[in-house]
Amino acid sequence: MATASELLPSASPTRNPMASLAVNFAIAMTALRTNVMRSVLTMLGVLIGVFAVTLAVAVGNGAREAVTETIDGFGSNMAILIPRPDDDEGGPPRRTDSERGRLTQRDVDAIEREVPLVRATAPQLRQSFDIVVPGASASTEVVGTTPGYEIATVHSVDRGRYISNTDVRSSARVVVLGRTVSETLFGEADPIGETVRVNGVPFAIIGLLEEKGSTLGDDTDDTMLMPITTMRQRFVGDTLPGPDDLQLAFVAFQEGASLSRGKTEIIALLKDRYNVEFGDVTPFTVRTTEEFVEQSQFITGILQGVLVAIASISLLVGGIGIMNIMLVSVTERTREIGLRMALGARRSDIRNQFLVEAAVLCMLGGAVGIILAWLTGVTLEASFDFPVPVGIATAIGAVVFSAFIGLVFGGYPAIRASRLSPIEALRTE
Amino acid sequence: MPANAPRPLVETRDLVKTYRLGGETIHAVNGVSLRIDEGEYVAIMGTSGSGKSTFMNMIGCLDVPTSGEVLVDGTPTQNMSSDALASLRNRKIGFVFQQFNLLARTSSIDNVAVPLIYAGLDAATRRERATAKLIAMGLGDRLLNTPAKLSGGQQQRVAIARALVTEPLILLADEPTGALDTRTSEDIMAIFEELNEQGITVIVVTHEDEIALHAKRRIEFRDGKVIEDKLVEDRRIAAPNDEAA
Repeated sequence: MATASELLPSASPTRNPMASLAVNFAIAMTALRTNVMRSVLTMLGVLIGVFAVTLAVAVGNGAREAVTETIDGFGSNMAILIPRPDDDEGGPPRRTDSERGRLTQRDVDAIEREVPLVRATAPQLRQSFDIVVPGASASTEVVGTTPGYEIATVHSVDRGRYISNTDVRSSARVVVLGRTVSETLFGEADPIGETVRVNGVPFAIIGLLEEKGSTLGDDTDDTMLMPITTMRQRFVGDTLPGPDDLQLAFVAFQEGASLSRGKTEIIALLKDRYNVEFGDVTPFTVRTTEEFVEQSQFITGILQGVLVAIASISLLVGGIGIMNIMLVSVTERTREIGLRMALGARRSDIRNQFLVEAAVLCMLGGAVGIILAWLTGVTLEASFDFPVPVGIATAIGAVVFSAFIGLVFGGYPAIRASRLSPIEALRTE
Repeated sequence: MPANAPRPLVETRDLVKTYRLGGETIHAVNGVSLRIDEGEYVAIMGTSGSGKSTFMNMIGCLDVPTSGEVLVDGTPTQNMSSDALASLRNRKIGFVFQQFNLLARTSSIDNVAVPLIYAGLDAATRRERATAKLIAMGLGDRLLNTPAKLSGGQQQRVAIARALVTEPLILLADEPTGALDTRTSEDIMAIFEELNEQGITVIVVTHEDEIALHAKRRIEFRDGKVIEDKLVEDRRIAAPNDEAA
């Protein structure tokens, strides 16, 4: 008769790892089917964990996206000037009355004149008002500014015209409406030529801004523009420290200009104008959009990290659940382990069998968790206008990570199973 | 090897297995030296606690002796790694257990194919060989049944097919009829006789004289020692009933 050596591969066969994986996968599926309820409950732990982590990552990414979008929507190569002492420039943090913030129209004019990288400036005075027409009113932040605001914010008129230099020079009583304000006051009707009252003062509507939409819950169409001179003379002049002080200014740079170089030049000019000694605190703050993006990304990054860390705890608990159930599974199937060893299973075969079972459990839970996270993301995005992108990379990452969880937490039970003595295992009742 | 020189398949030299139980040392097997050649049909007898099962577990490389040596097919097993022992069990020894030890919710084919997984064969070959063995055991119409759908005798025949599927030299059966009725037991013994005639060395551990009478050689254990080792006179040949065919 045929002997073993003739029929079977010789002494130490090099087994095909993919084939072993397929066998172990089949064994795992049988084992999981045998105890459906228990498998589902165990998976639930990983499912919730992966769901939470995936969603936390997605929400964080969404926040970053939204912040970047908001800042991009502003005009991406821009600096923002604020009349506030800046002690980030390396000077000692001392603030006396003489160092109170300052930024004036003349400063901004000087910047536009003397810094060649600057394309346009948009000095601003802002205040919230109730804007009234017969039969309707709207509350919005009114921006007193110059034509430069159009370039800096990359936001033009759809109908009518923008504020002109003539309007600014003559302190004209004219306004340009944002889309949201226009709709509140006039519905779908054309507002051009109509009159609105701001604090009882009548203004002629000369233009309607094009629709820009909202980002991060901030409606960029909920605004109204008027000449900065009009704003100063009629409304906010008394509240300012000087006759040409500003609350804020945007500086738009030339296409392709280096923002940091532009910033340096602006600061040098202003320091000169205010006679700021080297190392002293400047009475103004200059931030480029680049810095805003970096800062926001840094903050959202921290928030995301915290969120993911909290979510990871649930994944850890899920992993412990896997370990628990795998230990039960090994105990229950001790006799099967003994039998497999008697039939020729090596320790590594037994170990791999249980590792694959744990990994399959985790990956199934992880896959369902990702699908749920994706659905939740889509729902959130639809109902709150907040991006929650569950991308392919996040999905693959989560599945790989849950398999890893399976290997880590399934590892101990699997190794324990493989260390059993064949006869002890077989004798177990 | 010349045809007339018998090939020793199992050899033990001064085999000892002791357990510690509640501070007391128990000599389960206490200095057994014997040799079983190719083609033999041996019954290992003894009462419960005589050491016969412990002895069988050691020659089956499932258990490690406290001292002494076990040689399987001429190879000392003493210093073998656990992987090498697994491979040896897989290729040279087929096990049949009292409680069948089939995997529940698993078809006859898949049960029989388990040792072939560990032999490293591909799925198609595994199915082919498992099917062939099941047909040889008269279970051609039970290939896809799970153990729950099989009678005790059928389950034990699946287990025998599984033991034989790697074409081992030795069949080790521990109380193979302990869970079966007399008539079914007779069928199983008939299968063993046929296998022995085909050249497989059969070693049956039993406490039943009825069963031992089918063997060619009878070794009796008591208190961990061999007290009798003789050829069976008046050997009984099993009369298989039709069902088993």
